[in-house]
Amino acid sequence: MSQLATDTTTPIPITGLGITSAIGQGKDDFARALFEGKSRFEIMRRRGRQIDSDFIGAEIADFECATVKSNSRYRTASFSSQTAISTLAEAWSDAGLDRYDPKRIGLIVGGSNVQQRENMLLQDRYRENPMFVRPTYGFTFMDTDICASCTSVFDIKGIAFTVGGASASGQLAIIEAAEAIRSGRVDICIALGALMDISYWECRGLRSLGAMGSDNFANQPKLACRPFDKDTDGFIYGEACAAVVLESASVCQERGKSSYAHLSGWATHIDGSRTTAPSLEGEISVIKKALLMSGLTPKQIDYVNPHGTGSPIGDRTELEALATCGLDRAYINATKSITGHGLSAAGAVEVLSTCLQMNQSKLHPSLNMADPINTDFNWVGCESKDANLQHSLSLSMGFGGINTAVCLSKAA
Amino acid sequence: MSAQQIFDYLTSSILDVVPELNEHEFRKNDSLVNLGVGSMERADIIIMVLEKLRLKIPLAETYGPNNLGELADLLQSKSQIS
Repeated sequence: MSQLATDTTTPIPITGLGITSAIGQGKDDFARALFEGKSRFEIMRRRGRQIDSDFIGAEIADFECATVKSNSRYRTASFSSQTAISTLAEAWSDAGLDRYDPKRIGLIVGGSNVQQRENMLLQDRYRENPMFVRPTYGFTFMDTDICASCTSVFDIKGIAFTVGGASASGQLAIIEAAEAIRSGRVDICIALGALMDISYWECRGLRSLGAMGSDNFANQPKLACRPFDKDTDGFIYGEACAAVVLESASVCQERGKSSYAHLSGWATHIDGSRTTAPSLEGEISVIKKALLMSGLTPKQIDYVNPHGTGSPIGDRTELEALATCGLDRAYINATKSITGHGLSAAGAVEVLSTCLQMNQSKLHPSLNMADPINTDFNWVGCESKDANLQHSLSLSMGFGGINTAVCLSKAA
Repeated sequence: MSAQQIFDYLTSSILDVVPELNEHEFRKNDSLVNLGVGSMERADIIIMVLEKLRLKIPLAETYGPNNLGELADLLQSKSQIS
């Protein structure tokens, strides 16, 4: 297959999805839990997550990567790499990429410093005898090992690199994948929101910073994650990895592939701020720019999938930005209320969640929104709701002043 | 520790790293290269054996032997010196 002419205006179809998360492994399981509002929050138990603490989160249960089991070359693949391989396998098969020219397929991994817990465990193990640290740690500690593992398993030979945008990394990867297709560098590009495998050090830092939720709900972990509710006091972590396959419209047509949705507009904005604070100006900027690029008016947006972490100031700022942009009448829910906050993976998880909702013409519930901080919005409450969603907007924000937005439209 | 015990450490470490060789009957004249073990895996295997022996020597000092038997002999002599 030959390189196609650069296409700078046509929306970009999403033709494959994959997910590994605490609420479901594979998009069918994930969708079932999402629409039923079944979360898995509890006191985290994965080794390296607690020291004198009871951090609440949602962890993936009984995960096994078939590739690692069958091929010793991947024996040293980290948990983040293994979930990436499994998640990509689902998206790859969904998009039917086996016979496409590998030189025209790219991979962009969203996330940086995502293997903290396993790196810490290894350093702890060899602290007294560093001479015996496994030589392969010399390259597996780098996030780019996720790219190496995935490109090696799937024989991807176009572009492959990581992008870091804190909690906007997953959506940033989707935007960079779209740009890679638009620029003609590849025909098909997979954006992967990597599993951010945090250790107790990151949990403690995020808690002390006031970003991660407190122990207020230690006795009722299922109530702890409550974006946009008056009783929220921070995000609750959730392990996840998501893969989204984007491809040029002409290639999609040539291959006769159907799509989940089209990416019709996107935007990024940097606040110029070395803080964790959200920026109203930054969020308004990306919403307006993404809408302008997609050629949509705020009134045409049926559904907003917000960043909605449960950070009191973050949630308030996001709603103010949406209201300022005339988006207070669109349906809105909070995917993180069910999945938890996947940090680097979140933006990709939420675009996947938006695609599934648009395809099934159904909105998932928002958990624990007993007393919304703003009742002027069109919230999806504790029950799922049928709705025809033609156009949607998904938002992400990251520490350090990173704002992103994408517009998704149903295929014509 | 005898060279035979070190040889056994070597083979068990090889199987930890390359379980695909579990049907192979290891001999002292086997070489890691001929067994299809890559350079990254070789480094991990030798470090695992050094850890079992508590032998703190640079990896470079284990270069030279042509087969597993020679490697076991070399590691035995190093462990006696240290």
